[in-house]
Amino acid sequence: MTEGSASAVLECRDIELSFGGLRALKGLSFDIMPGEIFGLVGPNGSGKTSLVNVVTGFYRPQRGSVAIFGADTTRMRPHRIAAHGVARTFQNLALFRGMTVLDNILLGRHVHMGVGSGALATLFYWVWAARHEVAHRRAVEELIDFMQLQDIRDEPVEVIPLGLQKRVELARALAADPRLLILDEPMAGMNKEEKEYIARFILDAREERNTTVLMIEHHMDVVTSICDRVMVLSYGENIAQGKPLEAISEPRVIQAYLGERAAKRHVGAAA
Amino acid sequence: MDLWLIGELAITGALVGLMYALVAVGIVLVYKTSSVANFAQGAIAMTGSYVAWAFATLMGAPLWVAIPLALVTMFGLGFVIERAVLRHMVGQPIIMIIMVTFGMEIFLRGMMPGFFGVAVKRLDLGIPQAPMFLGEMLINRAYLIGGITSAVLIVGTIVLFNSRAGIIMRAVSDDQGASWSVGIRVERAIAIAWGLAAGTATAAGILWGSTQGVDWSLSLLLMKALAIAILGGLDSIPGVLLAGVIVGVCESLATGIVDPLVGGGTRDIVASLIILMTLLVRPYGLFGREQIERV
Repeated sequence: MTEGSASAVLECRDIELSFGGLRALKGLSFDIMPGEIFGLVGPNGSGKTSLVNVVTGFYRPQRGSVAIFGADTTRMRPHRIAAHGVARTFQNLALFRGMTVLDNILLGRHVHMGVGSGALATLFYWVWAARHEVAHRRAVEELIDFMQLQDIRDEPVEVIPLGLQKRVELARALAADPRLLILDEPMAGMNKEEKEYIARFILDAREERNTTVLMIEHHMDVVTSICDRVMVLSYGENIAQGKPLEAISEPRVIQAYLGERAAKRHVGAAA
Repeated sequence: MDLWLIGELAITGALVGLMYALVAVGIVLVYKTSSVANFAQGAIAMTGSYVAWAFATLMGAPLWVAIPLALVTMFGLGFVIERAVLRHMVGQPIIMIIMVTFGMEIFLRGMMPGFFGVAVKRLDLGIPQAPMFLGEMLINRAYLIGGITSAVLIVGTIVLFNSRAGIIMRAVSDDQGASWSVGIRVERAIAIAWGLAAGTATAAGILWGSTQGVDWSLSLLLMKALAIAILGGLDSIPGVLLAGVIVGVCESLATGIVDPLVGGGTRDIVASLIILMTLLVRPYGLFGREQIERV
């Protein structure tokens, strides 16, 4: 798949990652096109989160390359990749505890706040912070409306329910106006209604903010209804890729999820 | 008991306490950004005063040049500590990192007198020796100026910490992964915290050096600073201000009132008693966040 790569949002080539003797990712290659919602599925331990960590710079692959909007980001530190227009959420929630919902979302604007011209700029930032603050606050308030977080905007994040915490984390990621949004199990532990909310926010983010989305998700009903394409991983290998319904009904995928014997029975029952 | 004497002891104690607190600010700053207890703070203050002395005496720079130079140099040293030492410790158990800061304390404590000579150095800020009279109370001018300077610098740190730079440091201390994901340079934030810690310690070292001379014993400020940081709550800068005054006043009253009764030596017990009592009764200090568990 080398054709059309010039316009790809994310191009991963031959990604190889091992932890000691454990090969977590075995030569993965894939592309994500602008405006796509790309699902990453697979059983536990198949390497989904490792792959996301490679893309966002938290892990460094032993081999292979990652390019985001055509720029090679393989060796970049996570904060540089964030500055490239990539925002992410975490599987186990990584909110700034002890801060309010509002402050958490405001920190999502960090990449637009022009810090980084040296230590002194950061040191004396408060001298001229007020000017920029207003514009950022406006952007954040819009997001709070969009994500329906008005009631809890001034609550400390640690006291609000888990479902809302995940929503705040998504809002923080969106606050960066990302061109590529990476979601690691945004709906884990949610009930049907909460899942529908999040699905709606993800679709709206694509429509209204032109965001491309890479998401890890276990809920197959969500994956099949909102993802344009999926890639299925098993033990660090790409075992299927394509339209969601087709990819997840491939025999190798069923086998990865259910085991060999159960898969035979499943195929038998389907036939 | 003479009320004038108690007043004098209390005021002097409060001023001295503020000068201790300026050392403690650095411990809190480092704890807030990286959850590491900075046991090198006393020796960093001592090093700062040696550096100021070296600029002023060895190189003959006037004070208004020597002091800023020392502050900048030590701010840089804070950066170097992060880059050369702490960055290699990322991912190590917290006890290892604490031991490294303690190792730096011991290293600097031996290194500075070894390099500049063990004799006590004079660092004269030109503060008149004659005390100031407040009614019948005698107030030492060096403590008065030192205490006020310290209070101003601590308030300045509080203002800075309520700004964006402070929010970034708080974010880093809350969650490094999340900080990276929103584009924060985590190492840079930690380096700035160390730079500020070294800068404030240097200011304290210069003030103390001017009152008692510059030698290795300045590093003993660590004990007082630890008592203040723990009493104030390890992650609260305003806590340092109040705790500093409390520790200073307690020490001063103990010295002035209890010493004559028991024959002296109570001064140094106060700080250690405060550390013990805080940890036993209220481990997160006066203003600290309660979920803090490791020191």
